[in-house]
Amino acid sequence: MIKLLHVEDDADIREIAKMALDLSGEFEVVQCESGEDALTTVPGYLPDVILLDMMMPGMTGKQTLEKMREMPELADTPAIFMTARAQQSEMEELRSLGAAEVISKPFDPMSLADQVKSAIGI
Amino acid sequence: MFNAVKEKSTRHTAIGAALGVGWYVSATALLSGSVATVAPAAGAIALTALVPIALRKWARPTSPHLKDTLLAQRMAVCNRHTMINVVDRNAKLVEVNDLLVETTGYAREDLIGKPIDMLYDDTGRALVRRIRRMLQRGESWAGQTPLRKADGSSIFTHTTTAPLYDDDGEWVGSISARTDVTQINKLMALQSSAEILNELRDEIWILDADELAFSYMNHASLDRLDWRQDGFRGRSLSDVADAEAVRVIGNACQLLKKTHQMNSRFDVDLMGTPFSVGIKFLPAAAQPARFLITLTDLTEARAQEQTKSDFISMVSHELRSPLTSIKGSMGLLLSNAAGELPDKAAELLQIAHRNADRLVLIINDILDLEKISAGRMDFVMEDVDLGALIRETDQANEMMRQRLGLTVKIEGTENPIPLSTDPNRIIQVLTNLLSNACKFSRPGGIITISVRDDAEKVRISVRDQGMGIPQKDQHKIFQRFADLENSERAAKGGTGLGLNICKAIVESLGGKIGFETEEGVGTSFNFVLPKDSGSRLIISQKDDVREAS
Repeated sequence: MIKLLHVEDDADIREIAKMALDLSGEFEVVQCESGEDALTTVPGYLPDVILLDMMMPGMTGKQTLEKMREMPELADTPAIFMTARAQQSEMEELRSLGAAEVISKPFDPMSLADQVKSAIGI
Repeated sequence: MFNAVKEKSTRHTAIGAALGVGWYVSATALLSGSVATVAPAAGAIALTALVPIALRKWARPTSPHLKDTLLAQRMAVCNRHTMINVVDRNAKLVEVNDLLVETTGYAREDLIGKPIDMLYDDTGRALVRRIRRMLQRGESWAGQTPLRKADGSSIFTHTTTAPLYDDDGEWVGSISARTDVTQINKLMALQSSAEILNELRDEIWILDADELAFSYMNHASLDRLDWRQDGFRGRSLSDVADAEAVRVIGNACQLLKKTHQMNSRFDVDLMGTPFSVGIKFLPAAAQPARFLITLTDLTEARAQEQTKSDFISMVSHELRSPLTSIKGSMGLLLSNAAGELPDKAAELLQIAHRNADRLVLIINDILDLEKISAGRMDFVMEDVDLGALIRETDQANEMMRQRLGLTVKIEGTENPIPLSTDPNRIIQVLTNLLSNACKFSRPGGIITISVRDDAEKVRISVRDQGMGIPQKDQHKIFQRFADLENSERAAKGGTGLGLNICKAIVESLGGKIGFETEEGVGTSFNFVLPKDSGSRLIISQKDDVREAS
């Protein structure tokens, strides 16, 4: 099972993403509703991949990833951003920060699992 | 109306007093601009006083009063100050004084015996006829008339004209005294213009083209620079307390002068405020060459632009989040994640899902339009194979093509076609054209995507076998919301924005887009791209618009 940490402030989107990933049967999903919540969760749960919403109240997805990168155990964990629609140049910037993939919202729930696996090379 | 000069005794006894008082009143009134109300009386008295001198070479005996030295000196001054002419009852000039000869540029012999009309243009002649009728009735006239000079140019004179009578009281002609008010008119016009310019919020500078010294500055400019009311006098551009703005504006002025161009427009920050600067070069004519500079404060416009941009980004985000949930839920239901759906329910859900997709497209298009309008469309250039981009686009649209039972043929991509461009934007254009071709094709139709690879550019065409574009709609096909005015095309589900966006993208990449169409046969949209679009990127890339969620 692939351990996935999903950080998303919208409860409906969290539920849809969890259902879509659960359907594949290949993911163990832990969800957080904010960047701050995620930072308190990760010491006790080290994911194989992090799925981050870009814009959230409080810490943004980018700020959350930067904080996680300061933790040695998460320094190399693949991260995937989900965004309502970033400018192309911004997507490039996210990739340069170490984002394995940038998934646009609205996403196709039936291909989400494949997109995540493809991004982390599985 | 005035008729006093009909009485000989009145006229003669009035001469002495009129020269001393009447002319003074008349001249003062002329210069003060209040002639319209006082001139008929005062002007006529003064002119009555002038008659003996004016006619001394004509028929009138010299008045004994004129032998008075003081009066003669006064008349000499008047003669230098005022143009005087006398016409006979046939409106022919019988006497002109030196100042009139000198001012108009005619020789005296060119004037004497000629119709007074020669001193007027068509408008002036109509006025002369009207004045003549008044004079015949014994009335005098005062007002402004244009006076045509020998060189064809005109001056404006303030004129007082009074009728003349012989010893028997018969009307024999008229006498006119004229003051050149051309310069006064110009000054008044300038003063009026300056007062209007002072009301503007825009800042106006006028600079001498050689020294870049200020010759005018409106109140808004003076306030900005904290200079007192006439503080621009004796100052030049270099006295403005912003060296960088002075350098930019100064360079633009010099460039205009050097290249003989008339206009220049650019944005510059002046003393911490963003301005749109317009410079117009006014070549030397009546005055030395100057620069007319208008400065429009952009602070408010920029704030509004930012507010608009923020609003659109916010709306986009707020719409996308619920759409993600709606589309996601429907996608899961359609995939039987919650169990198998009855056929009818699945069909209805398909419709809802398809329209949710359409809403996403509309939001994307509106965002793109906003970026195009703001000059913020984002381009990321890469070296790519055009054939691969076309195949990727085709695969992404496979579902739509299959649903409509269409076949897509790709031609001319057997060999790699290297291109330096923004692949995502090219896919966006191709997707739009392919989607249009699918929508307007008949079931079972063929769509052909073909590429012609030239040395420095490529030509891509997307051809369908659909209904074609009616003649009446062809001119507006690249306009925004073109589809929405056509119910048949709107029914196909377009946003009416796609082709406008395609055009903006292609042109930003240095290319051109067009179409060929025949009703009932089909349409071929084609666009040409330079192989190295990077060096031809047209739209400036400003700060990114953040629309992330």
